[in-house]
Amino acid sequence: MSVPATSDNRILRAPPLGPERPVSWARRSVRTLSNGLEVVVAESKSVPKVSAQLFMRSGNAVVAHRSPGLADMTAAVVRTGTESRPSRRIEEDLRRMGGDMSTNAGADSSAIGISGLAEFSQGLLDLMADLARNATLPVAEFERERSQHLEELRIDRTTPGFLGSECLRRVLFGAHPYGIIAPTEEQVKLYTRDALAEFYRTYYVPAESVLLVVGDVDSNKIIDQVEQAFGSWKAPMPLATPRPAPPELTGRRVHLVHLPGTVQTDVLVGNRAITRTDPNWMRMVLTNSIYGGAFHSRLVMNIREQKGYTYSPRSSAVPLRQHGYFAIHAAVRNDVVAASLAEIFYELDRMRALPVGDAELDDARNYLSGVFSLSSSTQDGLLGQLSTVYLDRLAEDYLETYRQRVRALTAEDVLLTARRYLDSKNAQIVVVGDRALIGEQAALFGELETYDAHGNRLGSIF
Amino acid sequence: MLQIPVEHITLANGLRVVISPDRSAPVATVGVYYQIGFRLEPQGRSGFAHLFEHMMFQGSENAGKMEHIKLVNASGGVLNGTTNYDVTNYFESVPSNALERMLWLEADRMRALKVDDENLRNQRDVVKEEVRVNVMNQPYGGFPWLDLPPVAFRNWPNAHNFYGDFVDLDAATLGDVQHFFKTYYAPNNAVLLMLGDVDPAEGFAYARKYFEDIPPGPLPPRVDVSEKPQTEERRGQVEEKLGTLPAIAIGYHGPARNTPDWFRFAMLDGALHGGRAGRVYRELVLEKQIAVDASGGFDLIESNGPTQMVTRIFHHPKYDSDTAIAAFDQVIAQVREKGIAASELEEVKVKFRSDFYSTLESGMGSSMPRFGLMHYLACFTLFDNDPLRINTILDEFQAVTAARVKEVAQKYLVPENRAVLLRVPIQKPELVGSTAGAR
Repeated sequence: MSVPATSDNRILRAPPLGPERPVSWARRSVRTLSNGLEVVVAESKSVPKVSAQLFMRSGNAVVAHRSPGLADMTAAVVRTGTESRPSRRIEEDLRRMGGDMSTNAGADSSAIGISGLAEFSQGLLDLMADLARNATLPVAEFERERSQHLEELRIDRTTPGFLGSECLRRVLFGAHPYGIIAPTEEQVKLYTRDALAEFYRTYYVPAESVLLVVGDVDSNKIIDQVEQAFGSWKAPMPLATPRPAPPELTGRRVHLVHLPGTVQTDVLVGNRAITRTDPNWMRMVLTNSIYGGAFHSRLVMNIREQKGYTYSPRSSAVPLRQHGYFAIHAAVRNDVVAASLAEIFYELDRMRALPVGDAELDDARNYLSGVFSLSSSTQDGLLGQLSTVYLDRLAEDYLETYRQRVRALTAEDVLLTARRYLDSKNAQIVVVGDRALIGEQAALFGELETYDAHGNRLGSIF
Repeated sequence: MLQIPVEHITLANGLRVVISPDRSAPVATVGVYYQIGFRLEPQGRSGFAHLFEHMMFQGSENAGKMEHIKLVNASGGVLNGTTNYDVTNYFESVPSNALERMLWLEADRMRALKVDDENLRNQRDVVKEEVRVNVMNQPYGGFPWLDLPPVAFRNWPNAHNFYGDFVDLDAATLGDVQHFFKTYYAPNNAVLLMLGDVDPAEGFAYARKYFEDIPPGPLPPRVDVSEKPQTEERRGQVEEKLGTLPAIAIGYHGPARNTPDWFRFAMLDGALHGGRAGRVYRELVLEKQIAVDASGGFDLIESNGPTQMVTRIFHHPKYDSDTAIAAFDQVIAQVREKGIAASELEEVKVKFRSDFYSTLESGMGSSMPRFGLMHYLACFTLFDNDPLRINTILDEFQAVTAARVKEVAQKYLVPENRAVLLRVPIQKPELVGSTAGAR
């Protein structure tokens, strides 16, 4: 084999970026049907598939005060039978169209998602509408789902990551519905089929719902198909539910969830922050990205690439509909819990004390802008972006102007945002692990409270 | 059927280059696949292929530690690498104005790795935390991908701990790292892929500019991954330290890649698994309600050696594992005796095609456009020497008949061709308080 022997082609520096190409946005149609259902269709022809998401703007939060997780259970049972289709028929109809489906609920919404071959768009939309309108919630299926769900909950409460998130949310939101991410077993046992049916009747309604469709489709044709499947769907407006205010949190506190014998500790740090509709949201996104939201962020470089304490440290700005929060998570070696917390707070305070340099700022803006373009180029990514815009009722041109809004952010934006929303003074610390190995380390950072996996307080061992 | 544009060349140094253009969005995905995976790593060095993968982010001739990650992120892109059975890959998705920069970066680390002891110590620590977070400190961690192979296989390449025993990880030296690089990371043991917003002529020109003068090496020694024929059912048991449900994995050895049976077996797998309409989920979870969850599958395109169709069952504790296995065996007996209906096979084929398209488009989350297409093209190139199979392989699956599905069921779904692994929860003393949860 002959190979050029010269090294002329070796170039010692990375080549510069070429000029950025504009994103050509998918053709998008937005309609509101006469029953109030908002419909958004975007054409994205990368593969001959179609994906649709139907969001009802009510989830677990509206029932948290009387039956935590009821929206989740309702969503699970919605899939198991309609007036014309028993469970098996639903699943086989879906397979016949190359389909996948999920029905689930979060804090703020309940959702039916479906995808399949684009040639079956009418059938897929009909199936989705059948579940949204004609679910029969069969008792036997409900009991089966309930017994599965109980077993899943038992496993969740042995999972360090789950226990950390559950504790952090309880600490940050207290009696507010966002303080609960999963029910207790006893609460699940109290669900009734009638309660599910009432949730379904009240909240699976067109007036507060949005249907998003993305795929290799003709948007006019889809609008007609949606009209046929959902046009005669009628139901009253759901009721607003009053919500208690989340607690005032002053001073750092440490909350230890005791899991005996664990070989690693999940460390979480968080504070309440803002939602997507807040004017500071983009600043928050950029600030988080510089702190710990990207691979090249400060936190990852520090505790992973320099110190080797952890594999996957990350921070995130989480926007729920009514409140948001900022959270850091890292699963670290047991003997470096205190060292990891020291670095986490050092990096928080550095964000609050010193302005970010020009090069770092530029890199971070490039990152956000680029990742946004990557997401919008796939059907699922675009569907996710559209759901952000329409669920949170953001500006119609939110996606189109996103990149230019990122470009306009400054070092001062980051500094002020960090001072306001990376609240290291009042941050709440959660550690999940074996208290005999990590209790003393954690207690260095604030008053320590210890719990078992079910949220019961345990006495101090120190 | 969907036709995907694919162009490919081989450079003078043996590096294969595959480009699949689609200029509808200004983004590109770049990947380099080396034909070395955890199945092929040297005996006694468990976990080295994966540890080495981490080292490829630690610095190369002209891009120091942290610069790889920073260059990609600062270009608006995301990156990762994964170690698989038969390949190790490195990839970036970026706005297409960073394409040339990504090629420079991949060429720089194909040319020379520049790492020190400090980097190795650091990544050994990171890998240990990776193993803890994914396996040791996670309910059902490693189930069954790490648990089943030692039971199912007898030949070390297929049967060892792929993540690596900590003693083996600790024993790794910088010399091992450089030796491994020299042995497996030559251009003639790799394929470079560019997908998305790429002009093929320009892409090939960049490939020549940055990669063609990297010297080739001797091809690594061929590893014998074959297994001796199995004569009786194999059984094993592993403790589950965290989770509360008993779990079972059942693996049947599948047909060899690209043989007629392989296509048929894939359709059989689709009928058995493949979501809630699949026979296993329907019988065990929906009808008999013995299991809380049941799922499974057969690695097809990305596997280049002995492969099993694996079913995972998590069952209610009130049933014992024999009862759960008996219910599964009834599903198997039925498909062996009666085969599957032609209409069922048609549904399975539609679902297969639909899943294939979804994989092409992303396959690794929505921020890695065309990751799945890249993965398939790389495997077709390295294993079959024919990237264009991407446009014909679906036809071969679609041509399978119900009679052939029944035949492969009878041939492969027999006890002496399978391994059964039980993952058994340990009894835990009840902690303070009840499950009532005083909040």
